[in-house]
Amino acid sequence: MDTNDQYGGHHRTPTRARGGGARLVVAAGAAALALGAGLATPLGPASQQAHAADGDGKVLTVAVAQSVDSLSPFLAVRLLSTSIHRLTYEYLTNYDAEDNSVVPGFATEWKSSPDKLTWTYTIRSDSTWSDGEQATAEDAAWTFNTMMTDPGAATANGSFVSNFETVTAPSPTRLVIKLKKPQATMTALDVPIVPRHVWEKVDDFTKFNNDKDFPVVGNGPFVLTDYKPDSYVRLKANKDFWRGAPKFDELVFRYYKDQDAAVSALRKGEVSFVAGSPSLTPAQAASLKGEKNIRVNDAPGRRFYALATNPGARAKNGETMGDGHPSLLDQRVRNALFKAVDRKAIIDKVFQGHAVEGAGYVPPRFAQYFWKPSPGQELTYDPEEAGRMLDQAGLRKNADGRRVGKDGKPITYRVLCHATDPNDKAIGQYLQEWWDELGIGVTLNCLDNVTDPWLAGEYDLAFDGWSVNPDPDFVLSIHTCAALPATPEETGATDNFICDRTYDELYARQLAEYDPDKRAAIVRQMESRLYDLGYMNVMAYPNAVEAYRTDQIESITTMPAKAGNIYGQDGYWSWWSAVPADSGDASGGSSSTGVVVGIVAGVVVLAGVGAFLAVRRRATADERE
Amino acid sequence: MTAENGTAKGQAAPTVRARSLAWRRRRDSAARFWRQYRGHRAGVFGLAALLLFAVPALAAPLLVGSDVADVTDAPGGPLEDPSARFPFGTDRFGRNLLGLVIWGARVSLLVGLLAAVLSVAIGTLIGVTAGHFKGWYATVVMRITDWFLVMPTLVLAIALATVMPRSLLTIVVAIGVTTWPTTARLVRAQTLAVETRPYIERARALGGGHRHIMARHVLPNVMPLVLAQTTLIISSAILAEATLAFLGLGDPTVVSWGALLQDAREAGAVSSGHWWYLVPPGVAIAVVALAFTLCGRAVEQVLNPRLGVSR
Amino acid sequence: MTADAASAPVEKQGAAGPVTDGPAAPRGPRVRTTAAYLRYVAGKLAGAAVSLLAVLVTSFFLFRLIPGDPVRFMTGGRQVSAEQLANYREQFGLDLPWWQQFTDYCGKALTGDLGTSYQFNAPVIDKIAEALPNTLLLTGTAFVIYTLLGVFLGTRSAWRHGRLGDRLHTGLALTLYSVPSFWLGLLLIVTLAVGIGPLPGLFPTGGMESGGEEGFAYVLDVAHHLVLPVVTLVAVEYGQTLLVTRSALLDEMGSDYLTTARAKGLRDDLVRRRHAVPNALLPTVTLIFINLGRTVAGVILVETVLSWPGLGGLFYQALSVPDLPLVQGLFFVFAAAVIVMNTLADLIYPLLDPRVGR
Repeated sequence: MDTNDQYGGHHRTPTRARGGGARLVVAAGAAALALGAGLATPLGPASQQAHAADGDGKVLTVAVAQSVDSLSPFLAVRLLSTSIHRLTYEYLTNYDAEDNSVVPGFATEWKSSPDKLTWTYTIRSDSTWSDGEQATAEDAAWTFNTMMTDPGAATANGSFVSNFETVTAPSPTRLVIKLKKPQATMTALDVPIVPRHVWEKVDDFTKFNNDKDFPVVGNGPFVLTDYKPDSYVRLKANKDFWRGAPKFDELVFRYYKDQDAAVSALRKGEVSFVAGSPSLTPAQAASLKGEKNIRVNDAPGRRFYALATNPGARAKNGETMGDGHPSLLDQRVRNALFKAVDRKAIIDKVFQGHAVEGAGYVPPRFAQYFWKPSPGQELTYDPEEAGRMLDQAGLRKNADGRRVGKDGKPITYRVLCHATDPNDKAIGQYLQEWWDELGIGVTLNCLDNVTDPWLAGEYDLAFDGWSVNPDPDFVLSIHTCAALPATPEETGATDNFICDRTYDELYARQLAEYDPDKRAAIVRQMESRLYDLGYMNVMAYPNAVEAYRTDQIESITTMPAKAGNIYGQDGYWSWWSAVPADSGDASGGSSSTGVVVGIVAGVVVLAGVGAFLAVRRRATADERE
Repeated sequence: MTAENGTAKGQAAPTVRARSLAWRRRRDSAARFWRQYRGHRAGVFGLAALLLFAVPALAAPLLVGSDVADVTDAPGGPLEDPSARFPFGTDRFGRNLLGLVIWGARVSLLVGLLAAVLSVAIGTLIGVTAGHFKGWYATVVMRITDWFLVMPTLVLAIALATVMPRSLLTIVVAIGVTTWPTTARLVRAQTLAVETRPYIERARALGGGHRHIMARHVLPNVMPLVLAQTTLIISSAILAEATLAFLGLGDPTVVSWGALLQDAREAGAVSSGHWWYLVPPGVAIAVVALAFTLCGRAVEQVLNPRLGVSR
Repeated sequence: MTADAASAPVEKQGAAGPVTDGPAAPRGPRVRTTAAYLRYVAGKLAGAAVSLLAVLVTSFFLFRLIPGDPVRFMTGGRQVSAEQLANYREQFGLDLPWWQQFTDYCGKALTGDLGTSYQFNAPVIDKIAEALPNTLLLTGTAFVIYTLLGVFLGTRSAWRHGRLGDRLHTGLALTLYSVPSFWLGLLLIVTLAVGIGPLPGLFPTGGMESGGEEGFAYVLDVAHHLVLPVVTLVAVEYGQTLLVTRSALLDEMGSDYLTTARAKGLRDDLVRRRHAVPNALLPTVTLIFINLGRTVAGVILVETVLSWPGLGGLFYQALSVPDLPLVQGLFFVFAAAVIVMNTLADLIYPLLDPRVGR
C-alpha cells in the first residue's frame, strides 16, 4: 500500500520535519496519557488488597458464562452464585459424590420424631468460620429463623422453610426443626448456613449483596476473597476445612460472555476448565477431543428436555387463563403430536450423540427414580400412526392438506422457545417440518425471556427443561394442582399448569413416605401417569459436556463418581477434590509469559507503525518542492 | 441538479408536448448520469459486485431451490469440511452452506432494501415537509429529528427489536425507524435551497398548492440526493440486520447472513476450527455493504460534482 | 433554526448510518465577541439540558413497551401469593399509576438515583459506575488511536488524491468500515488470540484482566487484554474519520485562498500545514466528538464478543430480563454521552474557527 516506489526519485528537498515530529510526539503523549488515565480508574482497592497474602499458589481457573446475580445466599438464584455458596458455606447435609445419597454436611446426623413432625440435627463441632469463630447450631437456627420472619431473606430459598413451625438451637450442637406437616425432603435442605455474628448487622436483606467486605466469612472448603462484576470471582482454599483442605490454593471463576472465547481460552491454557452454558456444543467437543492435554467429560446430564403442552391453563379458583389451542385438550392429539417427533433424529442430529433419548420424567442418572414406558405404553416415532390418531380425534385435513380444528380453521401451533438456547431453535425447525407433514403449522415464538407468555398461559406448546436434584421432590411438585396460581393474577410454582387428581394423590403419598424404596416406587408411578397424559413429553436428557486441561488438573471428582458431571454439582466435590497437575501452574505462569509476549508484540507493532509513519513522512517531504 | 433549469420555458406549450419533453429530458439526464457514473471506477466495481450477488439471489429458487433450508432432509452430515459436493462445507444441520449463503442473500438484501426505503421515506417526508412548511411545524419536527439524531441508533434498534415479536418486519422497522434523521436533515437543507429558486415562486403565484409544489417541484429535485442516501443506507441496514440477527433478535427460522453467523456462533464454529461456517457469510456481508457504499459514493459524486474532486 | 449547527450529517455506530463524506459538518455560527460567545454557550447548554430531559422521558416510556412483567420475572418459578406480588410491586413502585411512576423516576433521576436493578438487587447507578470506567478505557483508547490514524491518513489521502496511495487507503478504510465488528472480533480471537498455524496466540481471548496482578503488572495485564478489542474498534471506526478528513481537506483545497497562497510561491507542504489542514480539521472536530459519544454505545458488540466488562454487555444482559431500571439508566447514559459530546463540539467549534480572528 506504500506508494514510495511510485513517487521515488523526485526532487530531494531536505525539509525539517519539525511541525510534524512535534505533533506526533504530542499526539503520542496524549494517547499515552489517556491510556494511563484510563488504566488508573479500574484499579479497585479490593483487587489490590486481596492478593497481598497470596503466595505463588496453584490456581484453578474456571470459565463461566453467567454473571453473578448476588453473592448473598438469601438472594442468589443463579447456578454460578449458588455454586459459589456451596463452596463457601456449609449446608446441613450434602450429597455423596458416589451415588447422590445424603451424607453429613454441617450436620453429622439427624433423626425424625415418630410423628414425623420434629427433626433433630446434630451439628458438627469441628467447623469454624474463616474469622476464627466457632460455627454452631445457633448460626443454623438464626439463618432459618431469619428466612421465616423476614420476607426479604426468603427471596431465594423461602420455599424450604414455608412448612417450618419453629427452628431452635437448644445447644451449640443441636438443631431442632418442628414442621407443620410431614416433609420427606428434610435431608435435602439446600440452604447455605451463614454466620450469625456477621449477618446480624445486615438491616435490609433485599439490598445487601455480600460483595463489599472481602474475604467473606464462611466455613466451606473455599473462602470468597474477591469479586469483580462480569470479570471474575476469586476464592482461596480454606486450609482448616473439616473435611480436609482443597488441593488447589485458589479457585477463580472467570467470566466469558462468548462460549467460543471460553473454549479458545481453554485451548490456549488461559483457563483450566470450561463447562459451557449449558454445555459445549458437539462441534466444540469433537474438536477438543483431538487436542493434547485436554480432556472432554461427556457425562449423562441431570436435565430433562421436554416439549410441554398447554393443558388449558387455569388458576386454583377455576378461572381459565391464556389462550392455549383447544385441540390440545384431547389426549389423542397430544400423543399424536409426540409420535411425530423423531427423538432419535434429535439425539443424532441436534445433540450429535451428546444426549440420551427421552423416556420418563427423571433422567436415568438418578437410577432409583428412573422410569421407562413399557413397550405397549411407549409413544414410538410413527408419523403415519400419528396422522391416523389425529383423524380419529377429529382433526381432519382440508382441501389444502392442512388439518382444521373444531372451529374450521387450519391449525397452527405456537411453540414457545428460548432465544438463548440453540437447541430450542434447532429442534423447533425440525418440529416445523415434521408437523408440516402431518398438516399442522408451527410458529416458533422465540424470546429472550419466556416468563411472561408462559405464566400467562399464552402458548400452545413450549420447550421446557429442569435440572433434577438428587431428591426429585421439587420437579415433581411443580405439576401438582397445589402449584397452580390461586388466581390468574398471581404466580404459582406450577411449571405447565398441569392439574391431575391421580398424580396429586401419588404426590401426596410419596411426600409422606419415609422409606426410600417405597417412595421411589411411587415416584415412578407418577412418571408413568405424566407420560400418558402427554403434557410433558421428554425428548432427551442432554449430557453435560465439559472439558478441562489435563496439564493443569490431574484429577477431579465427577458426580456421580462414575460418568458424572463436574460443573454445577450438588456439592463441592469437583473443586474441592481437584488435584493440580505437576506441570500445572494453572494460569499464573502462562499468562505472564503471555503478557511478556504480548508486550513485545505490542512494542514491535508500535515501532513498526512509527517507522512506517516516519518513512512515509520523509517520502512526502521529499516529493514536495 | 441543473436538470430543471428549462422547466419554465415549456409552460406555454400543450401539456402533451410538455410531458413528452419531460420524458426526453429525463431520459437524457439518465444517460448523462450513466456516462458520468461509468467514470467512477469504484462505483462501477460496486455495481459489478452487487450484480454478482443480486443475480444469484434472484435466481436462488432455480439455482439452489427453496428446500436448501430444510433441516429434515439435509444432504450432508453436520459441519462437514468443504468438498467438491459442498464447496463451503455444511452447517450444523448438514445443509449445504453455499446454498444457504445464496439463499440468505435474498433475505439480507431484501431487509437491507426495505429498511433503507422505509428509513429514506420517513426521512424524505419529514425533510421535505419541514423545509416546505417553515414556522412552528418545522421547528417541532426538526427538534424531534435532532433528538432522534442523538439517540444511540444501535441501542435504540436493539430496544425496538426486543419490544416487538421476532420477525423480518421487526428488523426492518427497527432499522428504518432509527436511521431516518440523517436523511431528514439532508433533504430539508436541499428543500430549503430548492424553494428559493424562482420557478417555485412562479408555481406558487400560479396557484400551486403545497402538495403540488412539494410533489412536483421539490421532490424531483431532492430525488437524486434521496437516491444516493438510499444506497448508502442500504449498506448500513445490511450491517444492522447482521448485527441484530447476531444478537439473536432475528427470526430463528429465516436464513439470512446474520442468522448464519449467529448459527455458526451457537454451534461453536469459531473455537472448533470450522472457519468455513463463519467466513463466507461475513465476507458476503462485508462485500455487499462495501458495494452499496461505493455505489452510493459514486452517485453522490456524480450528482454533486463539488464532492467529486477525488476523481 | 438553531438545529442546523447541532451535528454533522455523518453517523455511524455499530452498523447504523451511512458514510457520507459529503459536505462535512455544517459550520457553527461566527462568533465575534466574548459576550456573543457566552450567549452562544448559554444557548447550547440550555439546548443540551432540554435534550437530556427528553432522553430521560424517552427512556422511561420506550422501555415500558417491553413485554414482560418484571415482578413475574423476579418471582419466576416460585410460588408467590397475591400479597407478595403486591409487596414487590410496591417495593419497586410498580403499583402506582404510570404518571406517578414517571414523576418519581424523574425526581429521583435528578438526584442521581436511577432506581434499583431487578436482577442484581443493586442501585443502577452503582452497576453503571462499575462498568463505566471499563467502557471508557476501551472506547477512550480506541478513540485516540482511530482519530489520530483517521486524521493522519485522511490528510495524506486528500493531499495526494486520486493516486494509488489515496485509492488504497480509501479502499481499505471503506472495506473495514463495511465489516461487521462482531465478525472481525471473532476472527481476531481465532487468529491473534488462539493462534493460527505457526503463529502463537498473542493476546487473551477475552476479559479485562487475568485477576491477581498488582501495580504495574496489573496495568500491563489490562493493556494486554485491551489490544484485541481496541484493534477491532479502531479497524471499523477509523475509516469514517479518514473519509471526512479527506473530503473536508479536498473541499478546502479548492478554495481560492490556497491557490493564492500557492501562487505567492509558498511551499506546498507549508500551505498544507499552515492553511489547508487547520481549516479542514474544523468540521472534523465536530465529527470526532460525535464519534466519541457514539462509540460508547457502539461497543455493545465488541464488548460481548470479547467479554469486556463494560456498559454494552450490561445493557444486553439487562434487556433480556427485562431489567427496566438498568435498561433505562444505561440508555440514558448512552444518549447522554452523545449529547455531551455534541455540545462540547458546538462549544469548541467557534473557538477553533480561525476566521474569528485570533
